[in-house]
Amino acid sequence: MASTQVETKTSLTQKLKNSSLKKKSIPYLLVFPAILFVVGVLGYAIVAGVLMSLYDMQLSFADAPFIGLQNYIYLFTDSTFLNSLFVSLIFVFGSVVLGLTLSLSFALSLYKCKRSGNFFKALSLVPYLISGIATAIMFRFLFSGDVGLINMILSTFGLDTVNFLANPWWALLICILANVWFVCPFATLILLSGIQSVDQELFDSAKIDGAHKHHILLKIILPLIAPMMGISLIWLSFASFNMFDVILPLTNGGPGRATEVMALYMYNVAFDELQYSLGSTVMVIILFFNVLTSLIYLKVFNVNYSE
Amino acid sequence: MEGTGFIKTTQSWMGKRWHWIPLIILLVWTILPLVWAVSASFKEATEVYQTPVSLIPESFNFDNYIRVFDYPNFWRYLFNSVFLAVTTTVLAVAVSILAGYAFARYAFRFRHILLIFILVPRIIPRASIIVPLFTGIAFLGILDSYLALVLTYTATAVPLATWILAGFFKVIPKALEEAAAIDGAKPWQIIWHVVIPISLPAIITVSIFSLREAWNEFPFVLAFTSSQEMRTLPYQLFMLKDSMGMQDWPMVLAFTIVTILPLLILYIIFEKKVVNNILSGAVK
Repeated sequence: MASTQVETKTSLTQKLKNSSLKKKSIPYLLVFPAILFVVGVLGYAIVAGVLMSLYDMQLSFADAPFIGLQNYIYLFTDSTFLNSLFVSLIFVFGSVVLGLTLSLSFALSLYKCKRSGNFFKALSLVPYLISGIATAIMFRFLFSGDVGLINMILSTFGLDTVNFLANPWWALLICILANVWFVCPFATLILLSGIQSVDQELFDSAKIDGAHKHHILLKIILPLIAPMMGISLIWLSFASFNMFDVILPLTNGGPGRATEVMALYMYNVAFDELQYSLGSTVMVIILFFNVLTSLIYLKVFNVNYSE
Repeated sequence: MEGTGFIKTTQSWMGKRWHWIPLIILLVWTILPLVWAVSASFKEATEVYQTPVSLIPESFNFDNYIRVFDYPNFWRYLFNSVFLAVTTTVLAVAVSILAGYAFARYAFRFRHILLIFILVPRIIPRASIIVPLFTGIAFLGILDSYLALVLTYTATAVPLATWILAGFFKVIPKALEEAAAIDGAKPWQIIWHVVIPISLPAIITVSIFSLREAWNEFPFVLAFTSSQEMRTLPYQLFMLKDSMGMQDWPMVLAFTIVTILPLLILYIIFEKKVVNNILSGAVK
């Protein structure tokens, strides 16, 4: 691949009158603006965040004393942070389990569905277009104590209504549901693209060999789409570990701190208590969890991130 | 990993019509929150409290929407949202076309390192980096400005856009570009006259992704702006929920629908391209 590009490039170079130095600088010039944005903003954020987590920064960075890992030690002995870590882990686990179950069954049935398949494919992506705030408000309206549709249905059937968002466990479950609604569509399409790339002949020959239905799914489809499953799992857990938009308007971390995930804790510590160093420390911890979970997925699902 | 839906699909794979069960779940699950919100947005404020519930409002009244448009500063928030979405999309797409073309067509030193610089941040979530970004923006003295939002929105959109475009550029035949190069066309002339016209489907997809990011963005605008004039529609929707204590549901929901509609319309127009581009595996 690279060698053919080099060949084309050299053959072009001979035909052009441009000096080779000018020619060589072209790709760097083309890449420069993108690198500037990405490294300047995102790269800066990571480096500055890691540095800030090692200092005790109150107002400005200039006079902040270096305190090593003390911010980390503080957080891991702070019950409020440990609570948010615990809430995050449940939230992510719930979202990933529910999200993968739904997106896998959606993707498999979208693949099977020939008639009106395009309609359902288009429909399945709709929540992806909607903001986290709007998602949160619609789910709040569905599950609210007085006007919520779910409670009205419950009372129509003579069942007791539940004040969902006032109960810690219900509130967390509603957050997971809203989050899955919001992040699942993308995972569905990633999985569907994996299933579609499986060779149709494999299905046919399996059918001819009289393979059992669940054998086809378990022995052929699932192993072949394992890398895509890894990628959708990375997507689901990344989106969930850092979820902020949906939870803030839905429960604001409440009741109490029952739905205060790490991203919310980070926001409060940084912008309400103005402890930027602690906020950055939480950022490093969140990113650490992101990297850790994706390494596990990459290993387990054999994802090969080739270009 | 196993749930009822999963087992059902397992047992019925290749079975006759069982795939309709997950599809019906998909349909209800996807549209229920939306349909219910749309229905309530046409209701009177007191009607949402009535039992038994009705999906069809007693009378379709557009009062709630008119109140949204009359809301103080609504047009300013709309302008901010549109301005930020369009500016950052144009910037991000332009920057990504150049970078994507370089990665697709040139072999150069540090190519792999630079590619990693672009691709790794693709998976860095926005919400998690607000704290160091905030201090950096405060240091530059550009808090509460369009510049801060344009810079951060563009930077977060570039990685995915570059990735998708590079993948697309790689598969277009080189013959046209080579012919143009032999005729003495410069690289930017080739990009402008040859590459961009044949890559329009990918560019549209990338633009919709980037528009979606900027239009729905919330953590950055919440953290980096303070004055009311800088608010975007999602920010105001969030404030609406706070200040009204969620009492005036029909109006809040009408506002919600107004923020959803523009993207939904764009999506309906370009849906095939977007869905097919994701399905071709361009987005990972």
